[in-house]
Amino acid sequence: MLDALFQAAVLTSVAAATIRISTPLLLASLGELVAERSGVYNMGLEGMMLMGAFTSYLAAYESGSLWLGVLAAGLTGALMALVFAVLVITLKIEQIVTGLAVNLLGAGLSTYWLRSAFAGDGKTPTIPFFADVPVPGLSNIPVLGPILFDQRMLTYIAFLMVPAVWLFLFRTRYGLIVRCAGDNPKALDVKGVRVAPVQYAAVVFGGLMAGLAGAFLSVGQAARFVPDMTNGRGWLAIIIVIAGLWRPYPILVAALVFSFLDALQLQIQGVGIAIPYQFMLMMPYVAAIVALMIRRSRASAPARLGVPYTRE
Amino acid sequence: MTDFNLVEWRFERRLDPRPAARIVALAVAAAAAALVCSLLFIAAGASPRAAFAALLQGSFGSLRAAGETLVKATPLIFTGLAACVAFRARIWNIGAEGQVFAGAMFAYWLQHNLTGFPPFVQIPVVIAGGIVGGALYAGLAGVLKTRFSVDEVISTVMLNYIIVYVLSLLLLRGPWSEAGGFFEQTPKVDPDSALPLLFSGSRLHFGFLLAIVTAGLVQMLLTRTPLGYEIKAAGSNIRALEVQGTNTRRLILVVLLVSGALAGLAGITEVYGVHYRLKAGAITGYGYSGIIVAILGQLHPVGVVVASVLFGALLNGATLMQIKTSVPSALIYAIQAILLLFFLAGWAACNFRLRRVARA
Repeated sequence: MLDALFQAAVLTSVAAATIRISTPLLLASLGELVAERSGVYNMGLEGMMLMGAFTSYLAAYESGSLWLGVLAAGLTGALMALVFAVLVITLKIEQIVTGLAVNLLGAGLSTYWLRSAFAGDGKTPTIPFFADVPVPGLSNIPVLGPILFDQRMLTYIAFLMVPAVWLFLFRTRYGLIVRCAGDNPKALDVKGVRVAPVQYAAVVFGGLMAGLAGAFLSVGQAARFVPDMTNGRGWLAIIIVIAGLWRPYPILVAALVFSFLDALQLQIQGVGIAIPYQFMLMMPYVAAIVALMIRRSRASAPARLGVPYTRE
Repeated sequence: MTDFNLVEWRFERRLDPRPAARIVALAVAAAAAALVCSLLFIAAGASPRAAFAALLQGSFGSLRAAGETLVKATPLIFTGLAACVAFRARIWNIGAEGQVFAGAMFAYWLQHNLTGFPPFVQIPVVIAGGIVGGALYAGLAGVLKTRFSVDEVISTVMLNYIIVYVLSLLLLRGPWSEAGGFFEQTPKVDPDSALPLLFSGSRLHFGFLLAIVTAGLVQMLLTRTPLGYEIKAAGSNIRALEVQGTNTRRLILVVLLVSGALAGLAGITEVYGVHYRLKAGAITGYGYSGIIVAILGQLHPVGVVVASVLFGALLNGATLMQIKTSVPSALIYAIQAILLLFFLAGWAACNFRLRRVARA
């Protein structure tokens, strides 16, 4: 039975699924990376992603345009992040508790809104979802073509964001300012750069990316919204940032590892191997704990991560 | 001309937040949440007045409804206390949700082998099972933190997701599934293992009394014992406590064990007091709501009981609200989070004051 898993066609489809599944994890964790580099722990990622998934579904359903859905998701994530930023940066409320409140808000509000927008038989209509966009020429390369160059537009965007975020953080002046806000905000203050606006911008960017990640789940993949459909992906994104040592390329690797576990589970269910599916579904969460057990050193974390900056 | 340009208003941190200000913050937060709530009612096409009336009638309108409100409050008191103990020490146990599952599952594992024994054997086993199950699962996060320095926020959240699948594994064509049953649930438990009802004509059960007594015990633990002192000290500065010679690793582990044990009890009150069978639907959601309850209750056991009864009323009244005004009862979860956000903001705002200062 295991032979079935190792056929070339199956391996290709597992690899292609890994790339596809990594999209929301990559978008959310790159956003979280920027926020954390500025010194703010955004633990509300799960809720922002969930609301993004819902608003993109609703907007796409009402307007008939998937891209309007994506836009709605980005705006929703950014708006929630703005509220979060006011609470943790200006009012300096405990970041963990605030993040949790945002998660609960996302879960409650999306379910409530879904039920009041689609009252009646309790079924939500499906919408068309994003089709694969083969890259001309490249998608014809044997093996690699169908894996890498026959994906959805949001997936290409997510992968292009990896070098883009790297360039921004490590090769631009603004990136330096963001990193400085997380490592040594006082130095920034002394130089005459106000810390709070930098952190606001970083956190709002993180929320926008979380919203886009949510959009991929609903309009990019499932073609509908299901309550709690993020299912811990926001938390996995936070773990990916830690496992990726707060750097874009290692984050890409970590996101691919988690996605591979998920892709494998889909394939095993498809092939009909007799492992209870619950075992496979809990794998990413178990792997997350193991990853944190291995990556014990926090030496590469921003020095002032999670500590609100107060001018003396 | 005044010297208007030379003066500005500035927020300053207050060094002595007054307790009265906190009460005001709570009231303002409640009013603001009620306002947002009214807007959501209007958005759903219902009159806020009718919806609030239905909510109130459904939660306290009759003796039966009030009893049901207390039934709903019972698990929240336990999970609220669980968060209260941990958060006071600034140990972020977000895992009450999973520990509720663990308590219910461990109790069921012990009890379902004792079917046929008299109640005075089965009921203590059920209660002990809830305590031990919840404590063990929280202890796992404790070991991960003290031995492997895995942040407890993240490990407890991951454990919350994992245990849902473990329960599903046991229930869906697993060893605990109901013979010939279609749903993911165990068969009904032995009536002799059920928590006794307190009055006839109400579902209010022994678990509620247990919750009130436990709240009293937690209050004593926090104020009258060395552990309570250490929890308080860890909450303000764990490094200083370490310098004094306290074994903080042991403290973290103990706090998580106590917190988990409290959460585990919420699992058994639902399984053995309300549903009489183990299924995920019976025990989902109380862990996260408990965190809100604990913070609204100012991390104080009495506050936790009051906030739990309030939330029990919301949960209970929501059913009638949905029937009468067709506002989806899922609104309650949104309201809880909105209330928490306003309260956090109000509480934090108390630490600031607006002052006129001369412009530099």
